[in-house]
Amino acid sequence: MTATATSARQESHGLLSMIVELRAWIFLLLLVIFFEVWARSAYGQSFVINAYNLQAIGIFATAPLLLGLGQTFVIISAGIDLSVGFTMGLAAVVSAHAANMASGVLGLDLFTAMLFGLVAGIGVALIPGLVNGLLIAKLRVPPFIGTLGMYGVARGAAYLLAGGMTVPVSNAWYAWIGNGRVLGVPILVIITVIVVLLMHYLLSQTRFGQHTYAFGASRAAAVRSGINVSSLTIKLYVLSAVCAGLAGALYSGRFAAGAAQAGEPLLLDSIAAVVIGGASLFGGSGNIAGTVAGALVIATIQYGLVFINVEPFWQFVAVGVVIIISVLVDQSQRRLLGGRKDE
Amino acid sequence: MERRQFLTMLGAGAAVAGTGALTLPARAENKKYTIALVPGLTTDAFYITMHRGAQAAADALGQDLLFQGASEWNVTLQVPVLEAVIARKPDAILIAPTDKVQLVEPLKKAFDAGIAVFCVDTFIGNGVFQTGAGDADFPLSYIASDNILGGRIAARALAKSIGDKGKVYVSNVKPGVSTTDQREEGFKAEIKENHPNIEVLETQFNDDDANKAAAQVQAVFGRTPDLAGIFGANLFSATGSANGVKQAGQAGKIKIAAFDAPESVVQELKDGTFEIAIAQHPAEIGYFGTVAAFAHLTGNSVPTAIGTGFTVMTKDNIDDPNVKRFLYTG
Repeated sequence: MTATATSARQESHGLLSMIVELRAWIFLLLLVIFFEVWARSAYGQSFVINAYNLQAIGIFATAPLLLGLGQTFVIISAGIDLSVGFTMGLAAVVSAHAANMASGVLGLDLFTAMLFGLVAGIGVALIPGLVNGLLIAKLRVPPFIGTLGMYGVARGAAYLLAGGMTVPVSNAWYAWIGNGRVLGVPILVIITVIVVLLMHYLLSQTRFGQHTYAFGASRAAAVRSGINVSSLTIKLYVLSAVCAGLAGALYSGRFAAGAAQAGEPLLLDSIAAVVIGGASLFGGSGNIAGTVAGALVIATIQYGLVFINVEPFWQFVAVGVVIIISVLVDQSQRRLLGGRKDE
Repeated sequence: MERRQFLTMLGAGAAVAGTGALTLPARAENKKYTIALVPGLTTDAFYITMHRGAQAAADALGQDLLFQGASEWNVTLQVPVLEAVIARKPDAILIAPTDKVQLVEPLKKAFDAGIAVFCVDTFIGNGVFQTGAGDADFPLSYIASDNILGGRIAARALAKSIGDKGKVYVSNVKPGVSTTDQREEGFKAEIKENHPNIEVLETQFNDDDANKAAAQVQAVFGRTPDLAGIFGANLFSATGSANGVKQAGQAGKIKIAAFDAPESVVQELKDGTFEIAIAQHPAEIGYFGTVAAFAHLTGNSVPTAIGTGFTVMTKDNIDDPNVKRFLYTG
């Protein structure tokens, strides 16, 4: 009898934890239903069975998602990377300069120049990533402070390189990467999906991923079990910076100009995407699928509210409410399931 | 005599630079003034261009120019910079206040310390100075382009390019910024008064995020297939909107009027991304702000308001040197 009660409790906990696990996707589904109903009743058209809307939301989600992917690893490791926004800006400026230089000064063809720009943007991002990692791993600077410092340094470097302006890029191939489509799917979305799959593999199937979870759950335990935590930390922040670098390099193609402030407004969106996706800022939990859902939630809500013509000021409120609800779900999960974990 | 000197300097500009010390008895005592320029933010092409104009005037007049500001448009960041500048005791401060109300007291400190205060681009109080009305009228002059007029000019140009009918909306940064609010106000007023066949939809705020501005265009177009035009009230609003139009496959069909003119607009006008770009004249604001400060410091009176102009750029006139020189450059 006691046994049955326990198993029933576990079963309900199982269901509950599944809901908690998938909460970002459930939330996304509810949002889509809400917008679908509204769009059908007010405009007589479908919100979601609409290739145009899906493309727009997909493109909208790519930049915060790319930042969020690297951020997911960092947050799972109980760290945070506040420098991603300006690492993205730095990469955008450098890739714009590099692509221009490759075609203008070195005389390369536009396609090679485009590749040159992409590689330069991602390459320059290694620097802030490496410095962040070294500061946090070797000098034991708290991630919040170390990456906040890098936020300033990357920002200053980006503005200096751009001369305070935006750096125009005139390169048809680069513009194609940013705005083109293959079989109706935006190239930005294709690239992002590939990166998502890579990151998912890295986090869920490799030793690096396992170590990241272990490190985030308990630093002491990770050290005792022989994980080289300082090398792991450096890799994590480099990974985060590379994701931001890619986002920056793609920005320059999309808007035909590199801007130092390209990623500034995206930092909070990227953290919000990770948190809505179910990762805990205390480390040890989170996954890539959740972050994808989180980024889609943010993009869908902002896009949808404009689509159904809600007054602009309500849009700010709505996004804030979603973040709060998500954190509340996380908290209540801890309260309800907290005991079970120790069993 | 004094007045004539001032006018000579205005006209002669750079020519004065080399010979100034010899020909100007007003500076017989060889007093070199320090004029500080505090921009709304330092990382913006508009203010960088303003700095260039101010520097040109300072060089021409043989005066020292300080340029110090915050990296973001933010009162809490600008005030400490202002206080540090005041501590250096410049003779005059040219400032683009980041708030109409919150900068009044900090600037009053400068005024009480005997520093001449001028507002450039944005203002404190109601922007009308030296009226004897009260607390916020102590700045000597307000040197700026009329952003309401700028919004009207954008409205006229956009109306023309969409055949004076259809639906348009304003893509704006965020509410509460005096200049962008005024552009929107002027745009809407002009449409309402003189273009009855154009409907202005709800304004969309993008937080200066091009990505968001682009998605907003797609969302608005998604429900309003007859969208005809967009007014991008600043650089990122315009570039973001242009990208949204492109993503929606409407390039060339939905027209965009952009406000502000960094060098990248040349390409964007030529490839049809923007139909028109409205350039302010920030270098002119910096130049005449500095000249006004110098005039005041050397005992001349200055007008309480100096209005600077706009240039409407299109792909047809952008190669004209008289238009091209209004691009924002450092």
